[in-house]
Amino acid sequence: MIGSTDVVLDRAAAYPEIAGLRAALRRRDWPACRALIDRLEPSARSAALLECGDEQDAEPFLRGVLNADPADPAATALLGHHLIKLGWRIRTGYAAEHVSRGQAQQFRDRLRRAELLLIDGAARHPGDPAIWTARLLTARGLELGLAETRRRLDRALAAQPNHLPAQLQFLQSACPKWGGTWDLVHGFARDAAAAAPPGSPHGLLVVHAHIEHIFGDDGTDVFRYLSNDAIRAEIYEAAHRSVWHPEFRRDHGWLQALNAFALIFTMLDDRRSAATVFTALGDLADEYPWNQVGADVPVQVLQARAWAYEGES
Amino acid sequence: MIIRQEVDGIPALIAPTNGPMHAGLAFRVGFADEPLARRGITHLIEHLALYSFGVADYHYNGATGVEHTYFHMQGAEADIVAFLNGVCSGLRDLPMHRLPVEKEILRTEESSRGESPAERLALWRHGARDHGMPGYPEWGLHGLTPDDLRSWVARYFNRGNAVLWIAGPGVPAGLRLDLPDGTRQVVPAPSSTLPVRPAYFTGDSNVVAWDAVVKRGAAAAVFADVLKRMMFRSLRQEGGLSYNVLTDYTPRADGRAVIMAVADALPEKQDAVLGGFVDVLAAARLGMIDESEVTAVVNQRRDEMRHADAAGGRLPGQAFNLLDGRPLQSLEEALAELDAVTRGDVAAIAADACADGLLMTPGDNEADWAGFAEAPSESENLVDGIVYRSIGDSAPRLTAGEKGLSMTRMNSAVTVLFDECAAVLAWPDGGRIFIGNDAVQVRVEPALYPDGHAVVVALDARVRPELRVTMPPRDPERIPRPPASTTDTGSGSALSRVFRRIRGR
Repeated sequence: MIGSTDVVLDRAAAYPEIAGLRAALRRRDWPACRALIDRLEPSARSAALLECGDEQDAEPFLRGVLNADPADPAATALLGHHLIKLGWRIRTGYAAEHVSRGQAQQFRDRLRRAELLLIDGAARHPGDPAIWTARLLTARGLELGLAETRRRLDRALAAQPNHLPAQLQFLQSACPKWGGTWDLVHGFARDAAAAAPPGSPHGLLVVHAHIEHIFGDDGTDVFRYLSNDAIRAEIYEAAHRSVWHPEFRRDHGWLQALNAFALIFTMLDDRRSAATVFTALGDLADEYPWNQVGADVPVQVLQARAWAYEGES
Repeated sequence: MIIRQEVDGIPALIAPTNGPMHAGLAFRVGFADEPLARRGITHLIEHLALYSFGVADYHYNGATGVEHTYFHMQGAEADIVAFLNGVCSGLRDLPMHRLPVEKEILRTEESSRGESPAERLALWRHGARDHGMPGYPEWGLHGLTPDDLRSWVARYFNRGNAVLWIAGPGVPAGLRLDLPDGTRQVVPAPSSTLPVRPAYFTGDSNVVAWDAVVKRGAAAAVFADVLKRMMFRSLRQEGGLSYNVLTDYTPRADGRAVIMAVADALPEKQDAVLGGFVDVLAAARLGMIDESEVTAVVNQRRDEMRHADAAGGRLPGQAFNLLDGRPLQSLEEALAELDAVTRGDVAAIAADACADGLLMTPGDNEADWAGFAEAPSESENLVDGIVYRSIGDSAPRLTAGEKGLSMTRMNSAVTVLFDECAAVLAWPDGGRIFIGNDAVQVRVEPALYPDGHAVVVALDARVRPELRVTMPPRDPERIPRPPASTTDTGSGSALSRVFRRIRGR
């Protein structure tokens, strides 16, 4: 494992259900999709539906599924995510002020179509956290406001306590770039991580909060920020409660958790700790948050991994 | 059991009561009958007719509504006789010496009352005529003369346009309803300013409000109560977003009914209350309505109806039915209609209501994302005519033409056509607000245009005199003036307001 030059960024490699769902979607085999989705634990289900929303040209197929059964919650969430991703693709890479008027309109139109679908989905299935998770994305894109975003999170959490896919979305919405505050981001991440059972991956929320703060705020002095004892202590405590906890399992979120700690330990200049999580990750990594450091994610990961392992040789 | 009789040529509905005797005299007239320039005339007449009773310690009142106006009294038989006889003689001979004081009282009442969401919804739905009238101030008060009042009384407060109800043993001795002869006046057909529904407008207030027009009947009334329960659960109990939620069911003479819903919102929770309300409506639209909820509401309404009937409380509604040319409904018939309401009936009404909905969002929130079209607040067309630019670009461009006038700035325009003009507010300093039937307003401040006063004179000549509302002088401080120099003035908030549809107050 040590010295591997592979970086696998495909989440399907970490979560086999995603590979299965993609294959069934490509075959346009909805019963197979449902069989797979229905046996997933709720957060794995929400995450798989979000992940597979980027399946190419899936809209006519999913519309057909919904024509046959307008109430199908999984098809609703999946088509919702599909439309949301089409929308985001239109404005990818641009800060809000650089998106052209036409792009902004198309973006809004896609998100609106997703939202209309999800409004009905939520009315029919108020206890489906996947639908509320998707509605956290539409709330952000359509800029429906922080209180409404919070309401949607609360509905997801009422459906399943500690529902990580929704929490990850809310954390983004709570950032200043979307109208929130750093206090809100950190407070939310701390509380959510503390509320989750020991060994669950939720410590990654604390790490995402700090990474957003470092990269999302031009005024942050990275060196000073990471020298802050309280911040360092919080990160290590989060690691002890999640990725380093004996109860930590390869349940939904494990990849994102190890991956986030790999980056933050690297930034904290803590080779030994970084090596522990890189070892657990093997070849695997996840785009975010490495893409905050640089565009070429595999190179970033490889460099960090090599540096971490140097200390062990 | 309601008995029908006639008293002095006026149809009377009589039913026993288990409580104190009460009686009322209802007329088929209300806000919906008032032209905008006469807005307030019915209410003023109601006040004048009651003037003679002063501060007597009676349980009496008068009420002017959208389609009906009534005078009501509870008490001993002799007091009821004195009251109803007095109302009729008051109407026959209004105490005109009281005119200035009663106008002042009404203006004070209006300014202290504030504007209700129902009134704003009515204005945006119907415009500046008929059923949109509740949304407008009582502008007619300024100029109403004794002759105006007499002709209004002759037309509406007459024998042919009245119904009496009595909750008590029968027609009391000595009752003498001395009203002039006349004919029944039908309710004007409700206008619409909403080309597309469901629609929304931003309410800039701390409530979310919504209304819809559906088929009148027990199912619609049950839906209104079911909706309130859904809102209470979702907005108050689950989310803690609203403190007060309420719904209302108002039957209309045309066989339709208005269902209205309101929920309050803390300023920081406005977007969440909107979101939660959108979800409640979606659930209703998709028929996510519990059978048990419908049963609970039906049971509650049945009890209320029985209690109301025993106390004679159903009489006013039946009097209105009679005035509207609708069939009377006995308690048994009403209960049978109520008991026949199924979950499916309520769901069907809910779907109709959502398709017709008009939403007032809290704060400046939009609702296009939830499938609501923006209610029109500007005009599609501009008039042809002479274009006037304001001094120092201090106001929008004014176009005065043969057919009407327009104000334009950038991409937005407001137009009022003379043929579609509901009223013109005219201040002595020359300021004018032209209000179209569609509730679009064009405000002209002559001081801001070269030759502005001459333009106003020409515009005045185009508008029928009866549409003119003479307003009291404005505080000179509040009269817009052109900028002192040509340095940039921007569009001060007072002027940019011209561009909003200054609906209501």
